[in-house]
Amino acid sequence: MENLNGLVLKVDALSIAFGGLKAVDNLSFDIKENEVFGLIGPNGAGKTTAFNCITQFYKPNSGTLLFKGRDEQVHDLQKKKVHEIIKLGLVRTFQNVELIRELSVIDNVLIGAHVDFKSTIIDQAFRLPRARREEKALRKEALRILGVLGIEDRALLPAGGQPYGVLKKVEFARALMSNPRLIILDEPAAGLNDSETIELAKLIRKLRDELGCSILLVEHDMRLVMDVCDRICAISFGKFLAVGTPKEIKENKDVQIAYLGIEVEANA
Amino acid sequence: MKKLIKNPHLHFIFLGLLLMIVPKLAEMGLFKVSYVTTLGGTFILAIAALGLNILLGFSGLVSLGTAGFMGLAAYLSAYFTVDLGLSFELSLILAVVIPTIVGILVGLVSLKIEGIYLAIATLAVSEILRKTFEEFDFFTGGFSGKTASYPTLLGTYELDRAGMYYFVVTVLIIVMLITYNMMNGRLGRALNAMRGSEAASQAMGVNLLNHRLIAFALATMYASIAGVLYVHFIKYSYPSIWTLKLSLDFLAMIVIGGLRSIYGTLLGAFIVFAVPDLFLKQIPFFSEMSYVLNGVLIILVIIFYPNGLINMFADIKRLFNKLSKGEGK
Repeated sequence: MENLNGLVLKVDALSIAFGGLKAVDNLSFDIKENEVFGLIGPNGAGKTTAFNCITQFYKPNSGTLLFKGRDEQVHDLQKKKVHEIIKLGLVRTFQNVELIRELSVIDNVLIGAHVDFKSTIIDQAFRLPRARREEKALRKEALRILGVLGIEDRALLPAGGQPYGVLKKVEFARALMSNPRLIILDEPAAGLNDSETIELAKLIRKLRDELGCSILLVEHDMRLVMDVCDRICAISFGKFLAVGTPKEIKENKDVQIAYLGIEVEANA
Repeated sequence: MKKLIKNPHLHFIFLGLLLMIVPKLAEMGLFKVSYVTTLGGTFILAIAALGLNILLGFSGLVSLGTAGFMGLAAYLSAYFTVDLGLSFELSLILAVVIPTIVGILVGLVSLKIEGIYLAIATLAVSEILRKTFEEFDFFTGGFSGKTASYPTLLGTYELDRAGMYYFVVTVLIIVMLITYNMMNGRLGRALNAMRGSEAASQAMGVNLLNHRLIAFALATMYASIAGVLYVHFIKYSYPSIWTLKLSLDFLAMIVIGGLRSIYGTLLGAFIVFAVPDLFLKQIPFFSEMSYVLNGVLIILVIIFYPNGLINMFADIKRLFNKLSKGEGK
């Protein structure tokens, strides 16, 4: 298989259609290791569809998706089932924070380590030493991650009833628990106020610098995207528009037209 | 020492020891002997209800088939021990494994249907089983029912009523401990995640198919264990026991006691099954009303204690702390 030189994800000619609607049409981009990559586009551009294809929630009609896993091997994502994706080192967060309200914060974080448990159900049922040791070690790791995010004091509180900003961090912690190579953040700034968004930007940079993982940011908040992304890919109506540094994207004609809604004469 | 007092496993064992005193008290004449049967029956039902709690409480999958699976195991165990003369241990294993396989098949169906439709499908399975109990009389004795005897453990220890009661309490405590361990570990978190959001749990690597099958397997396994214990404790089984009403009673137990609460399930079984038998029957008017009482209780609990009556204890404790603090001032 192709060796992804310095890349963590390579999306090539990705297409998916729902009925007659081409939600994503021949989209290609790649993400380098240790990069914060932004995917932007107006409402309905196909951003969410694109990353649902990457994470195998949708099976694309055509195209290739190659990913360099945490085992340093290159994997064809389309050969994997949706629950197998996280094991490769590709994890996502959700736009409207999908946590379990009844569980404690730390238990929610531990769900991120689901695939890393080696003990069997029997080990757990009888609390054999192997299961106990493993649970203890992962619990410690979860606490450490909560510490990095500055919310370790809330570890034992139920997730339901925590403020929204904290819940976002818990979801982050859950994603980090899987020791990922690439984190896909689905509109992480949605519902955050200005100071929280600034904090989020700091956090994203910290993740990249300290943990060495890449980040794919799907976002509406232009300030955040322009602030933290190394490179940005802009799409519109499922089609690729441009890729480049934030500055290049800002100055790109096609992107301006897509965002400002000016009719393109050639289309008329 | 403090660590020991706080150890949740010891709490279960302590509860077991406490429950074991009951037959002694009955011998001393403090209770009627029939109370031992009522309490033993309650604990047996609590085992099946715990299974339903794993399925509904933790995994969010509805089942109205608990009674059917419990009945199937009861008939199987009676058939194996009485008609085929197998040992109790062997028939226990067989009578748990066979219904569990059927339960796993139902679990496969649950991948396609959800919510109210799953409830109807499991109800249908349960009714088919009940009809089988009526019709296949060479195996079940038809309407006249099937009898079994107190078991002999390991071929040597013949149990009597008190002995069987101790056995039931032991099994109950073991099942509670295992459930506690599983539900507070990886499996419990995965089932919780599945209930919360299928998409999120899949993204976290939870295999939905596997975990639904595990949930159904555990629920039927618990119901089967309860069925086997039932037929060797009450010593008979009729088709009319394993009806929709019993399945609904299980539902009532976990809703009244507390979804996702192990102690709550036991409390719920006690309220739904033992309270009418032990207390209400003494009062002439109420003896006919236990069915109505369950309905009223469910409504009251859902309104005032949506997480189950087990939370009442926490509230009482909090109130008590508040009062004692107030006095300190």
